[in-house]
Amino acid sequence: MKKLLFILFALASFNLNSQELIVISNLEGLNMKVGETFAPTSYAETLNGEKTLCQAVIYYNKKGVFSTAKAITVNRSEGTIRANEPGTHEIVALCIGQEGQRLSRTFPVQVDYPKAKEINIKLSSLVVYESSFIPLEFEIVDEMGFSRKNEFLQLSSNSNNIEIDAFNNVKAVSPGKAVLEASFDGISSSVEIDVLSNPIEKLELKASLDVARTGDVVKYDALAYDNQGNKLVGLPFTYTFYGKAIDKSDNASGLIMNDGRFVAEVIGDYMITVSLGTKSTSRPLKVVGRGIEREVVKVGQGIVSDKHTSDFWVFEGVDGRDYAVTGTWGADGTSFFWDVTDPGNIKKIDSVKVDARTVNDVKVSKDGRISVISREGASDRKNGIIILDVTNPFDVKILSEYTKNLTGGVHNVFIDNNHVYALSGSQRYYVINIEDPKNPVEVGMFEIGKEGQSIHDVWIEDGIAYSSNWRDGVYLVDVGNGIAGGSPSNPVAFANYDYASGAHHATFPFKSKSTGKFYTVLGDEIFPDGVDENNPNITAGFLHFVDFSDLDNPVEVAKYELPGQGSHNYWIEDDILYVAMYGGGVRIVDISGELLGDLYRQGREIGYIMTGSPNGYIPNATMSWGAQLYKGHVFYSDWNTGLGSSKVSELKPDNSKANQYINRTPIID
Amino acid sequence: MKKVLLLTILSFSFCSAQNYYFYVAAESDDTVSLIKFDGNQAEELERIPVGMMKTEIEGPHGLTVDPTGEYWYLSLAHGNPYGSLLKYSTKTNKLVDKTLLGLFPASMQISELTGLLYCVNFNLHGEMKPSSVSVVDPESMTEIKKIQTGIMPHGSRLSPSGRHQYSVAMMSGELFEIDALTLEVNRVLSLDKKKMNHQGMMHHSIIKPTWVMPHPNGKKLYIAGNGSNEIIEVDINYWSITNRIDTGKGPYNVDVSPNGKYLIATLKGEGKTAIWELGKKRKSLISNTSSVSHGVVISPDSKYAFVSVEGKGGEPGLVDVIDIKKSKIVSSVNIGKQAGGIAFWKLEQ
Repeated sequence: MKKLLFILFALASFNLNSQELIVISNLEGLNMKVGETFAPTSYAETLNGEKTLCQAVIYYNKKGVFSTAKAITVNRSEGTIRANEPGTHEIVALCIGQEGQRLSRTFPVQVDYPKAKEINIKLSSLVVYESSFIPLEFEIVDEMGFSRKNEFLQLSSNSNNIEIDAFNNVKAVSPGKAVLEASFDGISSSVEIDVLSNPIEKLELKASLDVARTGDVVKYDALAYDNQGNKLVGLPFTYTFYGKAIDKSDNASGLIMNDGRFVAEVIGDYMITVSLGTKSTSRPLKVVGRGIEREVVKVGQGIVSDKHTSDFWVFEGVDGRDYAVTGTWGADGTSFFWDVTDPGNIKKIDSVKVDARTVNDVKVSKDGRISVISREGASDRKNGIIILDVTNPFDVKILSEYTKNLTGGVHNVFIDNNHVYALSGSQRYYVINIEDPKNPVEVGMFEIGKEGQSIHDVWIEDGIAYSSNWRDGVYLVDVGNGIAGGSPSNPVAFANYDYASGAHHATFPFKSKSTGKFYTVLGDEIFPDGVDENNPNITAGFLHFVDFSDLDNPVEVAKYELPGQGSHNYWIEDDILYVAMYGGGVRIVDISGELLGDLYRQGREIGYIMTGSPNGYIPNATMSWGAQLYKGHVFYSDWNTGLGSSKVSELKPDNSKANQYINRTPIID
Repeated sequence: MKKVLLLTILSFSFCSAQNYYFYVAAESDDTVSLIKFDGNQAEELERIPVGMMKTEIEGPHGLTVDPTGEYWYLSLAHGNPYGSLLKYSTKTNKLVDKTLLGLFPASMQISELTGLLYCVNFNLHGEMKPSSVSVVDPESMTEIKKIQTGIMPHGSRLSPSGRHQYSVAMMSGELFEIDALTLEVNRVLSLDKKKMNHQGMMHHSIIKPTWVMPHPNGKKLYIAGNGSNEIIEVDINYWSITNRIDTGKGPYNVDVSPNGKYLIATLKGEGKTAIWELGKKRKSLISNTSSVSHGVVISPDSKYAFVSVEGKGGEPGLVDVIDIKKSKIVSSVNIGKQAGGIAFWKLEQ
């Protein structure tokens, strides 16, 4: 009787409290091979072992349905699961009780790697010399063609001229032939290594500089000769450095590359060493400050005290005076127009209000006649763009509204050569001809055509559109340059670079005046802790400097990262970067010369502007949005403050007292 | 005697004092408001910031509370490019978990039968191509399946049994029934009177349905014909249209009172709310406090309708509380801009 009561209770509890039951399934402890299918069966069981059937069982991969979750797939019509990739995956069995109520359990499913078929051993260097570590690469390829590189192989050798340590580092100790054997999963492979005697009799180290500033890239070149005085070429040298900072509380730091380039971050005395086995030579390097710090003076402000400010654009009007337009964020669809002819006396001269909550982006044509503003949060949900006549910025007029294909909201726009490039629903951009601004016409569209494609910004220069596509990085698209036969109506992509963070938010093309190199500067946008609209926020991310001199082989060479602050919009002119770093204000950075490594740590900062104001929408809360150098003044917009202007003076900052111990103090000018 | 009478009145008032709690999303402020209505006055108890990207409007759109009342779920319409589903605790109003969905995820509901959440991917990005319904296990916050439906699906509602999910496709003018257990489309009904055939071009609905709501008896569905200014009644058994009720301009969301007596629709184009007593021809029209009426949810006791009103531009969004029997707004409360998704949480004595 007691037992019956317990069963009744347990069955009832399936409906009332699923925790009393557990899902039993043949998925438990399941081991599969790649390519196998399996038909799971499941039911619910009471704690007492009584079985109860499910009305239905729904199986799913716990990683979801995106293409990144295809390691194990569920075929509901067949009632099977299929193992597609090796590893441990999770399948959830969701049991729907006879009268509803759910009960679920996650089962780890082990999908074995197919048996290893071959071990590939690759020597990363053409020649191996005595007393050097041997650069080796291992790859295991299994019977189904999957390859792995991170397995720990069993290494061994009968040769006594190489040594293997506990971490599989292999050192060549004396000249002669050696055989290295690697074993894994019952198979083995070997490689013959010819250890050569070190031919170097004399080693010299040449340098492009012996006294350098922080951030200067010094090029080292090792010259080696044999005992006959012959010059040796193609030797796999190793470059290292050590150093001592002038500031006793700091440590010397820098970056040294395999090709002998070195950049120091801290003032001090360094020693650069080149070596091959036991042969080495060193050369001292004195590193001094860049001496580029300048006083940055706030000149004028155009306060917006009742709403958030978004992007801005400063332009020369048809009357020769200077003007600016600013957008607003999460507000009432207003854009403000300003007279900035006197940057010290910024005057609000007109405003335009459209059906939107956010006017995120504002741009003005080069001739100062047309402005385009973007719309998000329109009450009719059509969003799109508004085209304005700004011939008279004191009396701005709406010329037209354009919404076709732009209903998902327009976040950013650009104007180039009578065409507007407008983002659509964060997926693609449309090209709209505005030769007749009252009757805009769509002429083209660009998208990268990948699953989950996403875009945040587009910027045009010299007929090339640089689109910032989050995880897919920057795309260089010919929209009239001619490099790839593109035009506004036929945009043609010809180069791309992406990077691991997947947070690519803005791009600025940069042709270095000092080196002639061509970079794209790619900015992240990251809010690691989410948002707080009414208080300062934590931001992250940085600028990636990508050397695009070879369009087919872009190389990320440097970064600008301000500790504790993330990047937003920026401007580059005359090898100087003006970057809005949210809570870190606008930073003015010397990016002249070859760029390598961490530009912030190299003391390249010329100055900064904290853009908050006691009269701002959120007082004293700097939240720099963007910056633009215009006729010698640094203009900026601040999310909490509005518009502002500053001037980089010729004077160095007075750091003689408060900052006298900071190592930024230049030693030479 | 007087004392007894006073005590009786007091105890009656005490017993009948009820507090209604519900959540409302403000799509252009990235906030969700928790509102309490005490029978007389609606009050914003908390305004909860939502989203992850400060400088992007992420657009909180759809809201639902799970059948246990322990969690509320919110769809964020915008992302990179996919929107997401966020799970919050009703105890703390703090984020518990999240998962990615499709393009512009919007309205949703949890089935009492399966415990799964069914959310339409509205895809308001201008593309005239079929979108989907995402099925999510709210326990693990995993998207289990995307079920393809029509163009711009909206108005995800479950049958009273929880066995079927209904949605309408705004641009293709179709009603979809999904089997909540097999996760397959069961039936499709074209709502347009006559299909426009533009020789190979995609059909664009004149009806532009935006919402579907099952009657509590499980026999009828009520669909907002946003483009045709009507409520379309569909018989679930026969899977056919049985009535078309003229509304006013732009009916958008629909709810039926739990007692089955009232049908209420927001008229987005007029800034009004319409109430019908089902079975009777009479319609009451109530002007909302602001423009662009959006969502409606009726209290479990069938006494009040809570209507979200978007407003325009910088105007605040708001919620009007309507006494259904009196057809009268009894309270109104401002929230963030573009009030939209609305979900009832609990009724407390």
